[in-house]
Amino acid sequence: MDEAKRTPPVDMVRLGEIVSGFKGQRWALIPLLQRIQSEVGYIPPESVPLISRALGLFASQVQGVISFYEQLYTEPRGKNVVRVCRGTACHVRGGKTILKLVKRHLGVEEGQTTPDLEYTLETVACIGVCALAPNIVIGSQVHGHLNPRKVEQLLKRGAG
Amino acid sequence: MQTVTITLDGREVSADAGTTILNLARESGIKIPTLCHDPRLSSPGACRLCIVEEEKTGALMASCVTAITPGMVINTHSARVMEHRKTIVKLMLASHPDTCLVCDKGNRCQLRQIASDMGIGLVDFQRLPLIADIQEINPFIRRDLSKCILCARCIRACQELVVQGAVDYLGRGFSSKPATLGDAPLDRSECTFCGVCLSVCPTGSLTEVGWTGGTTGQSVPTTCPFCGCGCSISLEVKDNQVVRATPAMEGGANHGTLCVRGSFGWDFIHSPDRLTRPLVKSNGKFIETTWEQALETAAGQLARIAAEDGGARLAVLGSSKCTNEENYLLQRFARFVLGTNNVDNGGSLYSSATRVGLSSSIGFAGSTNRLDELEQAEVIIVAGCDPTSSAPSVGYAIKRAVKFRGAVLVVVDPRLTGLAPFARLWLRPRPGTDLALLNAMARMIVDEGLLDEEFVARKTDNFEAFKAALLRLNPESVEPITGIPHRDIQDGARLFAAAGQAAIVYGSGITQYPNGTDTVKALANLALLTGNVRRKGGGIYPLQRENNAQGAADMGMLPDFLPGYQDLRDVTIRRKFEERWNTPLPAVPGVTAVEMLELARQGTIKGLYVVGENPILSFPNSRQTRDSLTALDFMVVQDMFLTETAKLAHVVLPAVSFAEKDGTFTNFEGRVCPVRRSVGPAGQSLPDWQIIIRLSQKMGRPMPFSSLQQVSDEIEELVPFYQGYSGLEAPYVDEPGLKEARRTYGGPFVKGFARFSPVEYVPPPEPALDGYPFTLLTGTVLYRFGSGTRSSNARRLKKFYSEAFVEINTADAAGLGLRDGDRARIMSRAGDVTAAVRTSDALPPRAVFMPISFPEAPAANLFEVVLDRQSKSPAFKSCAVRIERMKPDG
Repeated sequence: MDEAKRTPPVDMVRLGEIVSGFKGQRWALIPLLQRIQSEVGYIPPESVPLISRALGLFASQVQGVISFYEQLYTEPRGKNVVRVCRGTACHVRGGKTILKLVKRHLGVEEGQTTPDLEYTLETVACIGVCALAPNIVIGSQVHGHLNPRKVEQLLKRGAG
Repeated sequence: MQTVTITLDGREVSADAGTTILNLARESGIKIPTLCHDPRLSSPGACRLCIVEEEKTGALMASCVTAITPGMVINTHSARVMEHRKTIVKLMLASHPDTCLVCDKGNRCQLRQIASDMGIGLVDFQRLPLIADIQEINPFIRRDLSKCILCARCIRACQELVVQGAVDYLGRGFSSKPATLGDAPLDRSECTFCGVCLSVCPTGSLTEVGWTGGTTGQSVPTTCPFCGCGCSISLEVKDNQVVRATPAMEGGANHGTLCVRGSFGWDFIHSPDRLTRPLVKSNGKFIETTWEQALETAAGQLARIAAEDGGARLAVLGSSKCTNEENYLLQRFARFVLGTNNVDNGGSLYSSATRVGLSSSIGFAGSTNRLDELEQAEVIIVAGCDPTSSAPSVGYAIKRAVKFRGAVLVVVDPRLTGLAPFARLWLRPRPGTDLALLNAMARMIVDEGLLDEEFVARKTDNFEAFKAALLRLNPESVEPITGIPHRDIQDGARLFAAAGQAAIVYGSGITQYPNGTDTVKALANLALLTGNVRRKGGGIYPLQRENNAQGAADMGMLPDFLPGYQDLRDVTIRRKFEERWNTPLPAVPGVTAVEMLELARQGTIKGLYVVGENPILSFPNSRQTRDSLTALDFMVVQDMFLTETAKLAHVVLPAVSFAEKDGTFTNFEGRVCPVRRSVGPAGQSLPDWQIIIRLSQKMGRPMPFSSLQQVSDEIEELVPFYQGYSGLEAPYVDEPGLKEARRTYGGPFVKGFARFSPVEYVPPPEPALDGYPFTLLTGTVLYRFGSGTRSSNARRLKKFYSEAFVEINTADAAGLGLRDGDRARIMSRAGDVTAAVRTSDALPPRAVFMPISFPEAPAANLFEVVLDRQSKSPAFKSCAVRIERMKPDG
């Protein structure tokens, strides 16, 4: 329950260093956000005032940009991102059940991260390998022809 | 600029390249509906209502963001365009709640107006109204996101007009909405509740908290009564009650912006504590009486003192809040009826140093340029003031200049002001050492040859004496005196001197020190050295505290000047007024406001007539002020409320508020702004001008006026730079009459040359620091104003910001064992007050800040009366204090 405690503390000194490299460059907001995300894994909300001061933007503006892009995260992400396909072919072949099973195994809803920061659960519209439906992607690895047993094995192995 | 011709609805029209189709259509008299467009804001093309059709390509495009190109053939109202427009409106309505009947926006709603114009009644789509999501936990702004159409006008107004940036879009797609940082409620965000977003919101998404009367049908353009900006506002009236104030687009310097005081502070007009009947004191208690009786008593007592001891025993303290006409009448009453020059106004406490300092430097006592020009400056020095709270319109203009025009801002202030985050350079002098800093900057400019030699040679005199004084300055000493690193001073000097157009804005952090007048002269010296006095985008902007401080001085509410700064010691001038008024005038200048009180305490002045001032709270040393007022034989106070001062009076005359009378205010720029009667008076209260005229009749020396127009006529006749000010039809009158006489920009200096003044920093006599280790600074806060009489009767301002506080550096607080919210006693040699502690990093060590304007904790208690030698105005910015924690139970 005490998820907050498991979130690693934000290294504000390091954040400050990254941000200072972009001082005064309004155009560089998105590259800066990407840089922070690639180093920290997400964009800590604490970084917003730093960014806005350095770039001469309003804090609400920076937040607006972050919240606009699907690719930018404001919470820590799991080491493994699990994407369950909700495309038509997967749906027909039981993708909905697979999603339910994954949720049960991980104990989180879509968009959430397990408290131990191992897994983040997401859904995708289609990953383009409909022949293997139903599919999930863990990290960059596609797993097809899924069934309840396979889901259990995959997620157990990952956790272990 | 290249001209482009297009065919618009079958007609050939031309405009400069870059003009949008929308603007060209509006110029050509074609109405295109818009919801997200606002000419003052950037265009996002969000609402798509302004779509038009290009006939040749068939393209539909948003006319607000499409520039004209040669040969375009545009249809603005073709069947296809209309069909699309209707669909857009219907889609908006399909998700809009059915609450128009109870929506406070009423017929002011632009979405409803457009639907009605297009004949859209029933929406033939499946309706999926959004669920009301209402937030109104602050006393000002109510937000209902279900009515939001995502036009972003609130967002753009917040970012581009007031440059606060409290809100922006959050999220994307269906979930996007305007939100604060972290989606926090407004009262925990950067929001200053200026209310501009309310005024631009086209729907009922942003409205005032509480029912404000829906559609009123009556809106009266007038002028905000709080600070010296003189913003134009519209008061909306329903059933003889003001229900709402909105920023007016035209006329004032505010261009459709306001601050929280202007938008929400007007409700003191209908305060239940307003005085409604004249009061006369009998056996120590006030008894309500008739006007006849009250005026009889006042006239009788004033006449008795005048007859027994002469006019010099009487004094009149007038008002930087009353209109020009009322101030004119009041000084005329003093000089003509009472026969005394003992007249002054409360604004003198703030602006005398400016009047004396600038008059001797540039021959003109006021702002040299207009606020619009400040936005064109390349470098702006803001010294000793925080316009973001004391004069918000000026704050907005400076922030816009920095943010959108690339102006360089240099802030000179010990405290972290609202502008400091926008500054390139923040110089943080020790309190009261600004003069040393400014002289050092002047010296560097001279040493490095950065001065405008041609200007100095042709337009100024006394340069050699000034330079000689500068050369006596020891540059080494400045860093230890001011606490500012040498390099920073050098940077400031170079930035200022290098700019083609550099402006100076200053306020009470300059004028309310014992060396205030000299510091004003030092600022003028800097402007003269760099040729920034007769230049567009340059200039000197002294801020005024009260709405009509400039006007009160212009009207001669001064002990040494007749109206229009005409020197009463000059026999020809005096003769002119004597002939016009048909009476001999006293030839000796009278005493200033602070001297009046001192003389009252000594028993020399026996009778005082106070109009719209509350010296107990607004003058230094409340205890002494109280003693002075109690020592008087007779005092008559004319006010809207029973102020601390009025309680000591023998007769109290109820005056109306700005919303219940006509007249004009002159703002800090020198712009004469109309004040218009919007509602009837509270009870039997009367406009100040009528009271003054009636009192003069009762005293048997009637002044020859029966209407306000006759007063204006006499002002025009006797005050050269107000010539023609009342006859103009325009809602706002700029630069009335003889522009040349008033403005230095574009006109000759009044005395022919501007004059350098050698001024030297003399360290104050070392104060015995026996137990008073802290330096108190005073200033304005956004949610209160002046002595607090009006703002503490403004229900919403008081609710939101109820408690006086003392701000103290975090480290110092820790040293004293003080935490946020603790109560502390602040003591000086003169007195003490208690206030809640607020820790902050805005202050340097050993400095504390207290706002003025809290009647329950008057900072005035703490000050001893120390006068500026030249302007005789009291030092009222800073004094030595000590601080003690109070036990929670007492």
